[in-house]
Amino acid sequence: MTLTRRGFLGTTAAGASALAAPAVLGAGHPNVVIVGGGAGGATAARYIAKDSKGAVNVTLIEPSRVYYTCFFSNLAIGGFTTLDQTAHTYTKLASEYGINVVHEFAVGVDRDAKTVTTGSGMKFAYDRLILSPGIDFVPGSVPGWDLTSQTAMPHAYKGGTQAGLLKAQVEAMPEGGIYLMVAPPNPYRCPPGPYERVSMVAHVLKQKNPTAKIMVFDPKPKFSKMALFQEGWSNHYAGMIEWVGGDFGTVSSVDPYAMTVDIEGEIIKADVCNVIPGQKAGKIAELAGLTNDAGWAPVNAADMSSKIDPDVHVLGDACQQGDMPKSGFSANSQAKVCANAIRGALTGSKVFPAKFSNTCWSLIGTDDGVKVGASYEATVEKIAKTDGFISKVEEDADTRKQTYEESLGWYAGITSDMFG
Amino acid sequence: MTCHPHRRKGPQPAASAAPVARCKFSFCALPIAAALAGIIPAPALAGSEFDPAILAIKGDVEYGEYLSSECVTCHSADGEDRGIPSITGWPVDSFVVVMHSYKAKDRDHPAMRMIAGRLSNEEIAALAAFFATID
Repeated sequence: MTLTRRGFLGTTAAGASALAAPAVLGAGHPNVVIVGGGAGGATAARYIAKDSKGAVNVTLIEPSRVYYTCFFSNLAIGGFTTLDQTAHTYTKLASEYGINVVHEFAVGVDRDAKTVTTGSGMKFAYDRLILSPGIDFVPGSVPGWDLTSQTAMPHAYKGGTQAGLLKAQVEAMPEGGIYLMVAPPNPYRCPPGPYERVSMVAHVLKQKNPTAKIMVFDPKPKFSKMALFQEGWSNHYAGMIEWVGGDFGTVSSVDPYAMTVDIEGEIIKADVCNVIPGQKAGKIAELAGLTNDAGWAPVNAADMSSKIDPDVHVLGDACQQGDMPKSGFSANSQAKVCANAIRGALTGSKVFPAKFSNTCWSLIGTDDGVKVGASYEATVEKIAKTDGFISKVEEDADTRKQTYEESLGWYAGITSDMFG
Repeated sequence: MTCHPHRRKGPQPAASAAPVARCKFSFCALPIAAALAGIIPAPALAGSEFDPAILAIKGDVEYGEYLSSECVTCHSADGEDRGIPSITGWPVDSFVVVMHSYKAKDRDHPAMRMIAGRLSNEEIAALAAFFATID
């Protein structure tokens, strides 16, 4: 039998807790272990702990002590917020909700023994496991680029350090230089993200380096909120941005040492090269044997349980659920459905019908916000879209400003929903 | 202007300069705000088409708490307006009337029309009952 070892107030240091006598709090209560402390995992942890009122032991395994949200990192690049303002800690989840927060990497899942192993060798037994690991990049997706290239050619597709690096590189671009983005193939995290990124980079360059150019090489023929972004680019950044869709030229390879990009034989030298590779579920989902050939973890819509193992649930970007976009909002929405279902299964509490929703806001320029959103329901086959809306082109300035301000309200709302 | 007895907590965002937006229920149309202040009883405000039976539905607070999890992704659970109006501490009738006006597409906000549009009368009553308990 594996003992559940609990750390000290969410600040488990590997050495200290490995030596500590395992204090089994809440003995006899079911154990939920959650891997990944982002919009899916942190929300699920908080809701299960809050609503079960101590009847379920909740352990959250997340390597970062300070978590930077990926959402709003583009706004930090644009100077509309700071990366510090996207930083959050797990202090409240530990102290106010009694969640056992373990700052380690989860390195293995034994689904027969129902345990999760962390980097230091600790094992955590679970009755239900939630994996919410976000994304990893598909090796070879952009030939010439791998994780060792991320300093020269940042992806900036995880919050914090990478976003900060890209911001610094953009600000240090030589006068009249070239920012080149290699956009990702579908499906990927945050569908409007690359294009909001382009808008924010253009916003910075327009002020500091107005003769600089932005080139986007995109494997897709169209993208999220395309008409809205193209309208905004024309309004705010006329002549600065060139978007090239997959029908007109694809990236053959990149060279992070030479800072060049090969577009079907044509070599372009970039001053900043932002490579956003193809994506797949975070590695732990694959290690757990829960991913399909496409690299994602298929789940049942009603409770977000894996189609391979009903005792493991997969949330957010890592899962393949149907119609919802991969977004922090979606992960947060899925987490609440999942938390309600798990609590019901483990404690007999009432399980209410699944309802999902998502909204993605994007900032194009100062006070020029747009949004797209939808509602969803659980069907036997998938999470299915039921209704939706999108900002209109040629909207009035007041509406756009209100949409931007709404996004600030949403950021405050979702981050307190995640972190307490 | 004061259009109802509730006051918004916290600082006013610069955006909320319009008079109506000064109230806690910053997305209220004025007649509704007047109703919230008790000047006009809520059912009368909604006119002859608003079914008093809808207001009579007693909301299930537990179900409302579950449903509220969808709301608090955007509307801060602590009742602060940081760019999205507060929805805590509302009188039950007012909450029900406003949600039904989104459901009927009498109000403009696209996200609220969508969210309210798929809520049943019982679900709206449940949400109203739950949020009335939070202030």
